[in-house]
Amino acid sequence: MQRDVGSLPLSPALRARLLAAGFQTAQELLETGPCGLSKEIGISKEEALEALQVVRQECAGDAAKAAGGSGSTRKCTALELLEEEQAQGFIITFCSALDNILGGGVQLTKITEICGAPGVGKTQLCMQLAVDVQIPECFGGVAGEAVFIDTEGSFMVDRAADIATACVRHCQLIAEAHQEDDHLKALETFSLESILSHIYYFRCRDYIELLAQVYLLPDFLSEHSKVRLVVIDGIAFPFRHDFEDLSLRTRLLNGLAQQLIIIANDHKSAVVLTNQMTTRFGQNQSVLVPALGESWGHAATVRLIFHWDNTQRLATLYKSPSQKESTIPYNITVRKWDHIPRLFRSCDAAVQPSLCSCQTDGFS
Amino acid sequence: MATKKLRRAKLSQELCERLSRYQITTCQDFLCLSLLELMKVTGQSYRNVQKLLRKVSQACAPKMQTAYEMKMRRSVNPSTAFLPTSLHSLDKVLHGGIPCGSLTELTSPPGCGKTQFCITMSVLATLPVSMGGLDGAVIYIDTESAFSAERLIEVAGNRFPTYFDSDEKLFCMTRSIHLYRELTCDSVLKRIKSLEEEIISKKIKLIIIDSVASVVRKEFDTKLQGNLAERSNFLARGASLLKYLAEEFSIPVILTNQITTSLSNGLAIPVDLVSPAYELSLSEVSGASGSGKRESACVTAALGNTWSHSVNTRLILQYHDLLTRQILVAKSPVAPFSTFFYTIEKSGLVLQDGKNLSNLPWDGTNPALQTIQVRNAALRNALLNITDETPGDTPSL
Repeated sequence: MQRDVGSLPLSPALRARLLAAGFQTAQELLETGPCGLSKEIGISKEEALEALQVVRQECAGDAAKAAGGSGSTRKCTALELLEEEQAQGFIITFCSALDNILGGGVQLTKITEICGAPGVGKTQLCMQLAVDVQIPECFGGVAGEAVFIDTEGSFMVDRAADIATACVRHCQLIAEAHQEDDHLKALETFSLESILSHIYYFRCRDYIELLAQVYLLPDFLSEHSKVRLVVIDGIAFPFRHDFEDLSLRTRLLNGLAQQLIIIANDHKSAVVLTNQMTTRFGQNQSVLVPALGESWGHAATVRLIFHWDNTQRLATLYKSPSQKESTIPYNITVRKWDHIPRLFRSCDAAVQPSLCSCQTDGFS
Repeated sequence: MATKKLRRAKLSQELCERLSRYQITTCQDFLCLSLLELMKVTGQSYRNVQKLLRKVSQACAPKMQTAYEMKMRRSVNPSTAFLPTSLHSLDKVLHGGIPCGSLTELTSPPGCGKTQFCITMSVLATLPVSMGGLDGAVIYIDTESAFSAERLIEVAGNRFPTYFDSDEKLFCMTRSIHLYRELTCDSVLKRIKSLEEEIISKKIKLIIIDSVASVVRKEFDTKLQGNLAERSNFLARGASLLKYLAEEFSIPVILTNQITTSLSNGLAIPVDLVSPAYELSLSEVSGASGSGKRESACVTAALGNTWSHSVNTRLILQYHDLLTRQILVAKSPVAPFSTFFYTIEKSGLVLQDGKNLSNLPWDGTNPALQTIQVRNAALRNALLNITDETPGDTPSL
């Protein structure tokens, strides 16, 4: 109630007038009332009423914060947080080694960043996650929907359909082995058609469209409350050219990161971003580092780096608040990701025959 | 669209006028400001500014489609999702052929068959849909003046003798291939920008740029300061324009690239392809000849890491031995790593599925760093194999 007039979210012109007229606290404004205010400052009665409504809302919000209520405040004890975290699901990737190093899978309410060299499998993993987030709860999934924001144009519907088909078959095998009722019931609604219809795809051609889409995302997520995953495939691509003003870029990226953190928390969804690698020239050598600069490294909570070691793809957990840094090898097969134990390599010859069988299983 | 004027974003007239006094006329200007700055320039309260932001965002944001709708649209017109290359094993691995709506890059040492491949694809695009073509015209942007119309007719006549049985048909085909000779980066970019209208008016179904690397490497010397950033800028801008065209019209885009030598410490030397001594210098850099030791330098695709991210599919052509060459699928969102052998004949590229050359499964690696075998190395290996098999003969070089 003692809130300073200068800190209220009114339009600057109105604020300047109030201060010039000598108002200092919000309490004074509320006491004056709309008619008195309009006479004293010289604005219309409607404008005065609007201003007072804004002030009243602000004060109510402040009071709620002071009393420690819920809503926009985020205050809770660590015990409550622990219970929340334990009840929360993970989005599994079906690559058990990767799930292990992540501590169970991709976490909800956190931002995970995947950096990698070209062709290493970032988009593949994103498509995999967009399918896996929809796995029904009885199979260990979170039964959510996915938003896929594509800035590079590398989303291939046919490949997503392949992955979805393989996922459905995997669940069918589990259901056959266990023969439980709820498994079979869940399978009725878990089909290729339903999986593809719950992947909401946006194609952003430049950074303005990306910014606009992220501004509109909270409204979209309120309408589609079952969304549990937001993928932005290629956060680096639109920001890496046509930017002379690097400080503007840093500001926009930071704003984007903050909005994504809010989205992840408010809607209990996981946000997955993919980043490119760029060459940094040192004294005598060049090294591959994640793009977008050092300050961007702070945006994500969990950072995975995919890289090559000759012919083997490796995934390294680079940054995580709860898991240890480690590296695992992985493969991309025709159907989806497979992990391979470190001692021996699973046969890549399996790729060729199953390629043919997957083609015939296509959706048509 | 970023350059959309605010008037068209359904903001009120007076607000637009007020904003234009601060030089804010497009959606881009509006969305780049922070909330406080917006409050200052619009003179509105916090809540109202948020509403305005949402309105402007709605004018710019892309439309939503579900993956299912995309799939349905593709299955309605399955034949137009790919352009088959008429190399059957390659088409099978690529799930149909060169994908429409994305960028495909072809990299190889000189003389391996890039231009031949491009010429073959030009012919294929003009064929009717029933024969696997796209029944449309082709835009061929040639920066090296390597396109030969006579070779085009030779390939067409030999590859599809039954279809091109009359001169009339051949001339009809050549009329639908539009050739542009561009020799500088600027003119290439201008040409790409002008393509949108051409595609609609001439019913273009394939864009080929042969080659991107030659014109970029002529103008940008990456050793000079600032050139690397400018080069990446140009490439990224070109790539995003081409991606827009490819997706908007659902057509394939084929680009060709050259090779570069990258030393083991990571630096890349742009190979001077104008000097005739380049092949010699390449083998010198490549280290010990035929001793089987690990080479300290390797030949990879040019134009850097960022470019490797921009293209969606990468096909590498390389030398295998005296006669045969190899085509590698190095990066593809739908295909695993694969290799095929081929030779270049009158009818263009012909795959060799012969008994003594089996198409081996191949463990690929980072597409940006995949080593490519050049002619010298291939010849050297071939000669070594010969000398190994016939120990009695003295090798003559």
